[in-house]
Amino acid sequence: MMNFRKNLDANIALAIAAIFLFLPLIAATEFSLRDGGTEKHSLISYRWILDQSGFSENLGITMRVMALAVILTLVLMVPTVTWLHLGGEKYKRLIDVLTMLPLIIPVVALATGAQLALPGFVHGTVYELSFLYVVVSMPYTYRALDIGMSARPLATLVAAARNLGASWINVMLRVIVPSILPSIFAALFMTITLSLGEFTLAQLLHWNTFPTWITNISQQNILGATALAVGSLFFAWVLLYIFTFLDRQPTQSAVNEE
Amino acid sequence: MGNSLKIEGLSRNFGSVIALDDFSLTIKKGELVSLLGPSGCGKTTALRIVAGLERASSGEITLNDKKITDVPAHKRNMGMVFQSYSLFPHLTIEENVAFGLQMRREPKEKRIGKAGELLELVGLTTQHKRFPHQLSGGQQQRVALARALAIQPEVLLLDEPLSALDAQVRQNLREEIRRLQVELNTTTLFVTHDQEEAMAISDRVGVMSHGKLEQIDTPDELYNRPATLFVASFIGAMNRIPTQLKDGEVEVLGEKHSVKNHNEKDGNVTALIRPESIELLHDSTYHNAVVVTRSFLGASSRITVRIGDGSILQSLMPSSDSMELHPGDLVQAVITDKKVLITNA
Repeated sequence: MMNFRKNLDANIALAIAAIFLFLPLIAATEFSLRDGGTEKHSLISYRWILDQSGFSENLGITMRVMALAVILTLVLMVPTVTWLHLGGEKYKRLIDVLTMLPLIIPVVALATGAQLALPGFVHGTVYELSFLYVVVSMPYTYRALDIGMSARPLATLVAAARNLGASWINVMLRVIVPSILPSIFAALFMTITLSLGEFTLAQLLHWNTFPTWITNISQQNILGATALAVGSLFFAWVLLYIFTFLDRQPTQSAVNEE
Repeated sequence: MGNSLKIEGLSRNFGSVIALDDFSLTIKKGELVSLLGPSGCGKTTALRIVAGLERASSGEITLNDKKITDVPAHKRNMGMVFQSYSLFPHLTIEENVAFGLQMRREPKEKRIGKAGELLELVGLTTQHKRFPHQLSGGQQQRVALARALAIQPEVLLLDEPLSALDAQVRQNLREEIRRLQVELNTTTLFVTHDQEEAMAISDRVGVMSHGKLEQIDTPDELYNRPATLFVASFIGAMNRIPTQLKDGEVEVLGEKHSVKNHNEKDGNVTALIRPESIELLHDSTYHNAVVVTRSFLGASSRITVRIGDGSILQSLMPSSDSMELHPGDLVQAVITDKKVLITNA
């Protein structure tokens, strides 16, 4: 009886959470499919988005900014977190705190402050946003990688690979990266979703990106704006699905005792 | 033939802690040498330095007359099996075993062939397409062994490979390690804290304490002629009976015995007696001990007795000879060895 009650409570909680999560989504999707003021449904609002000037241009900018942010995250974060797990343990606490800072520092301070620290060649280009997105997504990317590496006996895997004749490059590319691939994908997903939706920094630094463009055009057409929001959301879901699909490693433990 | 692995004057400190202190050891081709000692005695540090995973503060390592002290780990051609599970989680069993060959740029057919051969040796042929987490702990360590042997290592290094396994699997696997090691004539350095394990499969065992090699000898020699008090008390159980040394003799349990090691000065000493060297006579008229407990161990039984000064001794006797001993019985404890080992500690 206890068990049933426990399950019942859990199911009710789950149902409430599902309603809370999905009802607005369903409503927004239905709304975005309305054909003007009529009762009919059509894709007219979605077609409207594509017709707006600047759609592909701004999407392109955001995609390029995102691509650079992803590369920077990979190149900076993966080796750093690996090092923290393989001998830099004494700095781990410090880095734990440092990676939280982007959540605490006000975005305005970050925008102006971080700009000063950026390498000269990105000054005055839209790619300064990529560097800022790496910083802003760091609390999430760092944790995703940290958890993934903590779940593996990384030091032993590295020792085993070295012992079997792997150079450091091979250790990194053939052992570390593949064995924590799911968390690398998780980290990249954080960077990607943040890059796709970040508005404040782009606006503060006067760059036109996809999110700022959405904000501008949504003031003209509320149905179109909703269609855009729903579209972005589905795009993120598709990405998430692709990442889960790419991670083909079996995770289910099926121990076969001798 | 000849010397395979030669370690000379190896030292390693971590700050002010001396992990390894002037450690020297020579392992002949095809020999299995164990390093045995309590945790923190430096045995794993020694192994990791040999593997090239850690650097020595001083000392030299020679492999087949070639100095390898400064050769990086990935160029030493030594196979290693670790204490914790070390299989690459994203690779299948076959790919794991073939990893070392892949690093050596062997063609794919040769890699697969060799991996299959080794998986057959460790009895896991049917599991080759599985992933490590689908195997039990014992199977994973077998794969790790196959992986270490696949590169045809000059030296096989075993870092407590059995300590995470349960007793039954541990015993089977240790016999298997020995069988493969003899079959492939692989020079092997085996690190363990389990003396039974070390004694069971090694040609020689080195007992370590505080970063130093206390004694290295065959298991029989170590057991019967321990060179130091540490070795004597670490290897097997040992009774310690305080007594006096006079003219090369000690009196223990009312009888005089000559001593094995003559280098001690006259005066207060401790006699070291193995439990199996103490026999308890039930039907004697002379009594010097009272039975406290008897534990049945199968073929033999362990009996503890209290002697005159109140101290407790352990005796190991055939179960058939000790059936009538019950707690509270008065017995005569007799030392069956003619010569006893003493220490002045």
